[in-house]
Amino acid sequence: MNVLKNLVGILDKVQKPSRYIGNEYNAIYKKKANVRLCLVFPDLYDIGMSHFGLHILYDIVNSSDFASCERSYLPWIDMQGLMKENSTPLYSYESYRPLREFDVVGFTLQYEMSYTNVLRALRLSNIPLHNADRSDSDPIIIAGGPCTVNLNPMKRFIDAFLVGDGEEAILEMLDAVRSGTREEKLRKLSTIRGVYVPGFSNKVSRRIVTKMGKAPLAQLVPYTNVVHDRAVVEILRGCTHGCRFCQAGMVYRPVRERSAKEIYDIVSNVVQRTGYEEISLLSLSSADHSQINEIVSLLKNLDDTSVSIPSTRVDAFSVKLANAVSSVRKSGITLAPEAGSQRLRNVINKGINEREIFDALEHARKFGWKRVKLYFMLGLPTETDEDVIEIGEMLKRVKKMGFESVSATLGVFVPKPHTPFQFAEQIKPEEAWRRYKLISWAKRFAKIHFTDPRKALIEGVLSRGSEDTCKVIEMAEERDLVFADWGEMFRPDEWFEVFEECGIKVEEVMSAKTLEYEFPWDFINVGIYKEYLWAEYERALNGILTSDCRESCTKCGVCMNFGVRNVLKGKGKIVPMPN
Amino acid sequence: MIERVLKRTGVRFEQTQGFHQRMKLSFGQALPTGIIDLSGLFVVSSVRPIGKEFIDLVNSVSPKGFEISNFEEVPKDFKLSRVLNGYEFKMLFIVTPPLDMLETALKVNNIWIVKLYIPFNSSVPKNGEFGQFLTLRSKALFSEVQVDQSIGSR
Repeated sequence: MNVLKNLVGILDKVQKPSRYIGNEYNAIYKKKANVRLCLVFPDLYDIGMSHFGLHILYDIVNSSDFASCERSYLPWIDMQGLMKENSTPLYSYESYRPLREFDVVGFTLQYEMSYTNVLRALRLSNIPLHNADRSDSDPIIIAGGPCTVNLNPMKRFIDAFLVGDGEEAILEMLDAVRSGTREEKLRKLSTIRGVYVPGFSNKVSRRIVTKMGKAPLAQLVPYTNVVHDRAVVEILRGCTHGCRFCQAGMVYRPVRERSAKEIYDIVSNVVQRTGYEEISLLSLSSADHSQINEIVSLLKNLDDTSVSIPSTRVDAFSVKLANAVSSVRKSGITLAPEAGSQRLRNVINKGINEREIFDALEHARKFGWKRVKLYFMLGLPTETDEDVIEIGEMLKRVKKMGFESVSATLGVFVPKPHTPFQFAEQIKPEEAWRRYKLISWAKRFAKIHFTDPRKALIEGVLSRGSEDTCKVIEMAEERDLVFADWGEMFRPDEWFEVFEECGIKVEEVMSAKTLEYEFPWDFINVGIYKEYLWAEYERALNGILTSDCRESCTKCGVCMNFGVRNVLKGKGKIVPMPN
Repeated sequence: MIERVLKRTGVRFEQTQGFHQRMKLSFGQALPTGIIDLSGLFVVSSVRPIGKEFIDLVNSVSPKGFEISNFEEVPKDFKLSRVLNGYEFKMLFIVTPPLDMLETALKVNNIWIVKLYIPFNSSVPKNGEFGQFLTLRSKALFSEVQVDQSIGSR
């Protein structure tokens, strides 16, 4: 079935119809394939197109000799309504085929607030929401992405989860479902390293690629404005700083860099095949690449192509780097000190001191940045009122440096699974608001934006939930709590009602824990010893810093458990393992 | 989109000055969603002269549904708005068109074709506005061409 003619009648009645038409330049419609996969980003196209993981898998699967990959995204509410009216199911963007007709449908779980969107996509595709209700005629539903490190809230809806890097596992998974009954396929999937199949698997270990593989070169070029409208090259994966609140820093270890030469070759190829004016050097912390200076100077040789770096570390080097890549002071510079006081920065292992922060800011000012935005968290472990007030003091000092505008965003800390702070408690919204009021006097110096602590609570419950949380996701989707990450669609009171009706013990989910506590995600091995996380937590409580593992091994366990190492191109050597 | 198509040809085009450099590109009149454009126009400035193989080159790196059919060299001070008189639109009906259009409509098998002349920068018919199932912008009309006065006001 091809839904194209259904679309003709409705496309001019919706907001931004170009988000639904597909067949962008470089889109691949592979007509012959033994196994057909459709990857779905569970949010709007405008957001989904910036998810680079999808582009990596799209390229790998379409380059294989037996499988094809198409894409889909969740339509906005207006389009959902019209599709329902004229019985148009969710379809792929290459062949306009309903998702139901694919062999495998894969979702990426990037953030918890997208869980209800996954269910909505299944509903719009007429695919049974529960894995227990699916039969041989339904596609196999798989899921990957960072949220799989606690897959519990989605356990009843997904057939097979992939935890970790997808580049090698995806083809193994597609090969496993080439033939057989549904049960045979699921059994085969459960034997693949990194794959967890509810009902067949007891535990799972993260899948890691030892080094960076093939990069997608003929990247998709959208017809419309999308959130990150540029070409992308992933310059390294993983991060070695070990910030104690950061889940990505823990679950993407070890660091694997691409060489400067390889990056240059990729970039010139991508620019030629896409026509993009800008390329982003993607990673968790690009300034950390051991050859970053070389990379930036090589890329300066490209005509009519500007370079951007996703974020700026809070130090002078990183600011100088940001200055080197951009000749225009776009919107402003964003830095994330995270905590207002040195004591608290040590607790979270973000060891930068005041002098370094202000040195970075002074460089920014001298280079011509007029606007600066700072990120902080409220509710970090051991935080006192004095720590919070110091945020205000910092903002005052920054304003007095002479920036035209200073703004600050305060987020409420959520203790994430597989981090040293998974043992910490999360503060309640009332407490968050109380702390926020402690610095309302600083509004004189900076525009302060406080993210809704009720959203943090909901995120906390969803990211730390056990299998019981599946009921929450299901009920929330039935009540239309979709696109929950979008301001206009966020209805916290209804979420709290759902928690109550599902019997979720919010207090228990948010309270502090000890090493002995059995977390719902303990069966998922990301490679780090739980004892290491606890030891880090104790060091945090005592304000002791832990080194960057590029410099010396911190014995977190990843390299020992999975036989991997940091891959650093610049130093020409790999960090040695202690005995 | 056009900027990226041109960039993919590998031919160098002039950029704007200043910090945020973009390709120097100007267009004829924009169209609302849903109208098929057979007469889109844009003006761009290449760093070096280009030959007629440029048409095939552009089309080889264009997305499906976009194609250039012709190009012409114009003087440096050329402005589209000065020479563009208006556009011819065609609306296709499978139901009977409105009475005031019926007189000038051409009937081919079971389809009525209504031609409209829209002066440059005036409002254009919207998709389906008169009951038509398809709207095309079929021709661009330049100053040398005379516009038929009796239908010109639409």
